Amino acid sequence: MEALYVEQHGCTHVTTRESMEDQVCPRCKTTKYRNPSLKLLVNVCGHALCESCVDLLFIKGSGSCPQCQIPLRRNNFRIQLFEDSYVEKEVDIRRRILKDFNKSEDDFPDLREYNDYLEEVETIIFNLANNIDVDETKRRIEQYKRDNKDQIARNRVRPSQEDLELEEILINEKELHELRSQEFVKEEKKEKLRKMREKEALIDDLMFSEGDAKQILAMHSIKPAAKEVQQRTETRKPATQFSTGIAIGHKGSFVPPPKVSEALLYSYVPPKVTLCGPDVPEPERLSSDGYLKHVRQADDASMASGFRTDYACYRALQEAFIGLFFFNRSDPLEMDTS
Amino acid sequence: MRKWEEEIAAEAMGQRLNVEGLLVYFPYDYIYPEQYSYMVELKRALDAKGHCLLEMPSGTGKTVSLLSLIVAYIKTNPTDLTKLIYCSRTVPEIEKALEELRKLVEFYAQETGENPNIIGLALSSRKNLCIHPEVSKERDGKVVDGRCHSMTASYVRAKQKDDENIALCSFYEDWDGHGKEIMLPYGIYNLDDLKEYGRKKGWCPYFVARKAISYASIVVYSYHYLLDPKIAELVSKEMSRSSVVVFDEAHNIDNVCIDSMSVNITRRLLDKCQNCIQVLERTINNIKETDSVRLREEYQRLVEGLRGASIAREADVLLANPVFPDEILQEAVPGNIRNAEHFMVFIKRFVEYLKMRLRVQHVVQESPAGFLKDCAQRVCIERKPLRFCAERLASLLRTLEIADLSDFSPLTLISHFATLVSTYTKGFSLIIEPYDEKTPTVLNPILHFSCMDASIAIKPVFDRFQSVVITSGTLSPLDMYPKILDFHPVIMSSFTMTLARQCILPMIVARGNDQVAISSRFETRDDIAVIRNYGNLLVDIVSVVPDGVVCFFTSYLYMEQVVASWYDQEIIQSIQKRKLLFIETQDAAETSLALLNYIKARNMRCSITLGKVSEGVDFDHHLGRAVIMMGIPYVYTQSRILRARLEYLRDQFQIRENDFLTFDAMRHAAQCVGRVLRGKTDYGIMVFADKRFARVDKKGKLPRWIQEHLKDSMCNLSTEEAVQICKRWLRQMAQPFTREDQLGVSLLTLEQLQSEEQQKRIQQRAQQA
Repeated sequence: MEALYVEQHGCTHVTTRESMEDQVCPRCKTTKYRNPSLKLLVNVCGHALCESCVDLLFIKGSGSCPQCQIPLRRNNFRIQLFEDSYVEKEVDIRRRILKDFNKSEDDFPDLREYNDYLEEVETIIFNLANNIDVDETKRRIEQYKRDNKDQIARNRVRPSQEDLELEEILINEKELHELRSQEFVKEEKKEKLRKMREKEALIDDLMFSEGDAKQILAMHSIKPAAKEVQQRTETRKPATQFSTGIAIGHKGSFVPPPKVSEALLYSYVPPKVTLCGPDVPEPERLSSDGYLKHVRQADDASMASGFRTDYACYRALQEAFIGLFFFNRSDPLEMDTS
Repeated sequence: MRKWEEEIAAEAMGQRLNVEGLLVYFPYDYIYPEQYSYMVELKRALDAKGHCLLEMPSGTGKTVSLLSLIVAYIKTNPTDLTKLIYCSRTVPEIEKALEELRKLVEFYAQETGENPNIIGLALSSRKNLCIHPEVSKERDGKVVDGRCHSMTASYVRAKQKDDENIALCSFYEDWDGHGKEIMLPYGIYNLDDLKEYGRKKGWCPYFVARKAISYASIVVYSYHYLLDPKIAELVSKEMSRSSVVVFDEAHNIDNVCIDSMSVNITRRLLDKCQNCIQVLERTINNIKETDSVRLREEYQRLVEGLRGASIAREADVLLANPVFPDEILQEAVPGNIRNAEHFMVFIKRFVEYLKMRLRVQHVVQESPAGFLKDCAQRVCIERKPLRFCAERLASLLRTLEIADLSDFSPLTLISHFATLVSTYTKGFSLIIEPYDEKTPTVLNPILHFSCMDASIAIKPVFDRFQSVVITSGTLSPLDMYPKILDFHPVIMSSFTMTLARQCILPMIVARGNDQVAISSRFETRDDIAVIRNYGNLLVDIVSVVPDGVVCFFTSYLYMEQVVASWYDQEIIQSIQKRKLLFIETQDAAETSLALLNYIKARNMRCSITLGKVSEGVDFDHHLGRAVIMMGIPYVYTQSRILRARLEYLRDQFQIRENDFLTFDAMRHAAQCVGRVLRGKTDYGIMVFADKRFARVDKKGKLPRWIQEHLKDSMCNLSTEEAVQICKRWLRQMAQPFTREDQLGVSLLTLEQLQSEEQQKRIQQRAQQA
C-alpha cells in the first residue's frame, strides 16, 4: 500500500512537471513550471514569445521576430492557442483568406466545380503558409477579389447552410435541456408532497380509525407499490417550431436568402424544321398557285372557331413532303446537304 | 464437460424429437423439459423470421438445444435458412460450442448413416490462428496483426517480386496460390483443427477461415466480428440475409455495443498522432520525389469519387470504416482534403485543435453539434471534410503502401473519431475530464466520446439478418432489452428450471443479529455496525457451509475498505480459522493466480473468493456452495458518462434513471449468484445481503428461476435465521440424489416427453413474457 502510494505520488510529480514544461518561451527559456503566470503570445508568423520578452523586444511598437526575422507589429500579438507554430500561422492565414473566399456549395452548378474551388482555396492557403510563390498567389487573391466583389459582400452577411443546421440543433438541445430540468424540479416537488401526504394519512388513520394497527400499516405499505405502477404521463414538449420547420421567435433564418438568378433572359428563337424532303411552297403562294382549290373550303361556322383553309392546306402539304428523302442513316443532317 | 452432460450422457444414444413438426436430432438420451420448450419457442421465432429474446437458466443446456434445433432447421428448410452465426464472448466459450456441435454432427452421422454435409468453424483473431513460426510467438494481438499485415499486403508482395530481401509468409503465399478456391472439407473445425488443417496443407489458417465463413453453414466467433463496425465491415459484410444470428451470454450486449462505438482520447494518444503525422509527411515527400505517379493516381481517383474500386483485395486489411452513412460511399471526397499534402495539414490542424481542447481545468460536456461549431470557429474545419476523414486516411495509407498499419492506429482512431462526431448529432456526447476519477490531483485530461445509444451499433445486425436470437441465463427484466436495443422481438420468453428437489436457496438477509439493517446504501455503508454485521454474516455462513463460499462486493473500493475494518474487528481471523481466504485484486494476473489457487484449494473445501469475478468463471459444485452478495452492485452513478447515458435513455426511450440503474444492478447481481449453479445435480445457497433487495422493484427484476424459489418468508431474515435455514437445507441436500429421482420430473426420456400430460405441462410452462 505504502509503495503504491509513493509510486503514484512520484508519478504525479512527473506528469505535472512534464505538462508544464510543454510551454516554454523560446527566447528566455522560462517555463510554465517556473513561472506559473507565463503567457505565450504569437504574431502572424506563428512563433511564440512570452509576455515579458514581447515587452522587451517591441518596446518601440515594432520589431522583428527573433526566430524568422519577419517584421512584426506589437499590437498584432495575441495569445497562443496551438502548440505548433505552423498550425498557428496557418489558421491565421486561413481565417483571413476564408473571409474573402466565402462561396458555398449553392453558388456552384455542381459538386465537382465546388470541390475544384475548395481545392484552389486550399492551395492558396498552403502556398501562403509554406512561402511558395507568395507573390503569384497574392496576385491571384487580388484577382479573385476584384472578380467576385459583389458575391463576397453578399456571402459575408449570409450564414452558411451548415452553420444554420448546427445552430438549430444546438437551440433544440438547449430547449430540451431546460424543459427537462423544469420537469425534474416539478417531479421532485410532487414526490415530496406525495410522501408527506402519505405520512400524514397514515398517522391520521392510526389515530382515528378503529381497525387493527397492523392492518392499517399493511394497507399503507401496499399503496405506494400500487402507485408506482401508475402510468407516468409524458409531458409533451411545447411547440418550438412552425410546421414549416422555422423556429418560433428565431430571427436568423426566417426568410430564406433570396436566390440570385444569374441565367440569361429568355429570348425567342424560331424553331428550325428539317423536313428531309422537297421544300414546301411558302404560305403566301398557296392561294396564288391554286393549292387551296383542292381542300375543303372553310364555312362560316368553322371560321368563327378559328379554322382557316390555308392552315389546313399548308399542313397537309408539309405532311405529304416530310421524310420523302429519308434514308436509314444515322445522321439526318447529312441527308439535308445531299 | 459440463455438469448437466455428465448426468444425461451416460450412454449417449440420443433421440429424435418432434418439435412442432420439425424432426430434431438431439444427441442425448434424456432431455430437460425446459430444453424442449426452448426449442419450441426458438422454432416459432425462426418460422416467423423475426428476432427473439430467450432467457434460460445457466447449466440447463442452452447451447445444445439451440444448435440441434437450428441445424435441424437448416437441414429441413435449406431455402429459408442457410446459415447460423453464433456469437460468444470468449475463446473457451467458442470452443465449448464447437465441441457441442461436433457431438451433434457425429450423432447425425450415426443416425442417418451418412455424413451431414455441414461445415462449422470458429474464427478468431490472427493471434489465435497464426502458424507462422516466428509471428505466432508474439504475445500481443496487435503486434501479430501488424507483422502479418507486413508480410501479406498486396503491395508488399508486389514489391517482393523486385526485391528478394523482403520476407513473405509462405503460408499465405501457398494459400493464395492454391488454396483460395478450394473449399474446406465438410466437418467441424475448432481453432486447433484449423491450425492442424493449415499445417497439413501449408496454408494460413486465418485466411482459410476468413474465406470459409462465407460458405460455411455454421460460424462461431466473437461478438466483435458483428458489432464492432470496424471489424464487421471486413469480416461479416457478405453474410447472406437468410442467416440466424445468435448472441449467447448476451446480458451485457448493450455495453459491448456502446464500447465498440466509443472513443477515448488522451494527451499521449495525440502525441503519438503527432509522430504518425511526421512519418506520413516524410513518406509523402519521398514518394513525391521518387514516384509521384502513385499520388497523382490516387488524386485522380478521389476527384472522380470512385471509391472502392481499389479495395476488395482481401489482404489489404485496413483498420478503418466505422458505420458510414450511405451518402459518403457515393459522394466524392471534398476538394479541400483531396490533395495528400492538404489532407496532412488538415489532420494536423485537427490534432492541434484536440490538444487545445484537452487543456482544460474543469469538466466540459458538449454535444457533437457544439463540438462541430467550436471546431469550425477555431480552426475552420467544417463538418463535411471531417466526415470523410476516416475514408481519406484509409485511402492515403493504402496509396503510401504502409505495410504495418498498427503503427498508425492512433491516427486511425482520431480519424474515426472525426467521422463519428460529424456523422451523428444524436446518441453521442463529448465529455472532457481534466482529472482521472481515481487520482483527482493529477492532471490527466481525457476526452470521452461516448456512445449512449446501444442501438446504433446493433442496428445493422437487426436490419441485415432475418432472425437474431439474444439469449442468456440472466436477461431479466426481458422488456428492457428491446427498449435499449430498439428492436421488436417476435418472441420473448423466460424459462424456469424444473427441479426434482429445491436445489437453490435464495435468501434476503436484511438485518444483523443486533437488528441493525444491513445495506450498502451510500449513507450507511461506512457505518461500523453495518460492516460488522456483514462480517458476522460471513463468519456464520462460513461456519455452516462445508464447501467453497464466494462473496461478491459492489466495488473494489468498498471491498478494500470493508476488509480493512474486518482486520481491526478480528473478523478475518475468525474466517481464517475455517477457510482459506483469497482476495481478488484489480490486477488481472494476480486475480487469475488467486483463482487458480482457489480451485486447487477446493480439495480442502475451504476457501472464499472476494471480488468481481462474476463474468466467465463458474463456481460449480464444491467450488461454490454459497454465494453472498454484499450490497446491491449499483454502478458508480457520479460518472459523467453514465449520467449522460441515463439522460439520453430517459429522453429517447422513456426509461427512468432509477429503472435503468436498478436493472443494471440486478442483472449484475443475478449474474454473480448465477455462478453457483451449473446444473441440476448442483446445489447452492444465494444470500442477498441488503435490505433493499426485498423491495418489489428489485426483487421483481431477478430472473424468474430465482424468483420462484424466493418465498416471502425468506425476504426479511436476520443473520441468525438465515444460518438456521442454511443448516436445515444443507442437511437435506446432502442426501444421495440419483438420476431416477429426476426422471419424469426434470429429466425426460423420449417416451415421457411425448406423453400427453407432459406436453401439456410444457405448454403451460412456456409462459410468454
